[in-house]
Amino acid sequence: MVLESRRAFMLATARAAGVAGPALGLLAGTEAPARTEANDLAILSAALQIEHHAIALYGHGLRRALFPPGLRAYATEFRGDHQGHRDTQVAIIEERGAAAPAARDDYDFEHAPAGDAFVRLALEIEIAAQRAYTGLISRIRTDDYLLSAAFILVDEVRHMTVWQRVLGLKIY
Amino acid sequence: MTSRRAVLGTLIGAPLLALAARADARDYASAGEVLAEIDRLEAELDLRLSRLAATFPAAASFAGSVRADHERHRRTRAALRGRLRVMETAPLPVPAGGGSVDALRRIAQDLVYAHAEGLPALKDAQAVDALARHMVDDARHLAVLQMWMETEPGGA
Repeated sequence: MVLESRRAFMLATARAAGVAGPALGLLAGTEAPARTEANDLAILSAALQIEHHAIALYGHGLRRALFPPGLRAYATEFRGDHQGHRDTQVAIIEERGAAAPAARDDYDFEHAPAGDAFVRLALEIEIAAQRAYTGLISRIRTDDYLLSAAFILVDEVRHMTVWQRVLGLKIY
Repeated sequence: MTSRRAVLGTLIGAPLLALAARADARDYASAGEVLAEIDRLEAELDLRLSRLAATFPAAASFAGSVRADHERHRRTRAALRGRLRVMETAPLPVPAGGGSVDALRRIAQDLVYAHAEGLPALKDAQAVDALARHMVDDARHLAVLQMWMETEPGGA
């Protein structure tokens, strides 16, 4: 039951970020796409869309001062990490001759709450990113992307752990 | 095989890779080599954390939680060795000293790197999935130690 609700939450966040196609099916457990170049690109695109979503959320929170004042440094650092992840994914996609998906222009964070409630939103996108990368990583076919995805995953775990600690959640 | 150093060279502008751009970056040649390095670093981290917990009881619950995760990881790696037909190597003795939080953080970081850098050498999707999940646990342990460092800049 808990597993199902976690999966549903991760899928909802992935959909909100714009993830679709075989990568969403893989995350949902309804598809097991073959390890092909095309599916590598679908996975890369899905990961990139989650990064776009995270950058937009952090950017909104920083612009509107929605993070508690003592946590702005973390928020700035994590946004920078996500921008690095985005640039990495874009570089890999373009190196393979494909077009990287742009960020959506319809993110709706207007009613996002301030303070700890906003930190919880940031935590949710980090959990979704961590679960997405963990779920997808074994499907990656090429060594270069596998390696960069591993280091991105390490960053996502750090972000997630920091926000969990800030919110008083169990971290070990 | 992709050279880790070459890949990181093309991606060095990304902030996350500042973490990874170290001089002793490692390209693993085989799954056996990856698993042996993980065994070594995990044993060292467990032992040093136990020493820290003996001195600072506040660290005991963290040390116990890390040890429990590592015991589970070891069982999974043993099964993977059987599947991948990799022999277990004899563990090396853990050097004395190095019980500060910063020393622990460095070993925890090396353990995370060993997982990340080792994934391409596994050449087996099930092994990649298992070790990536272990890496998530180890990255969480590393994050806790980093936060300890941020709270206590001089280390324990």
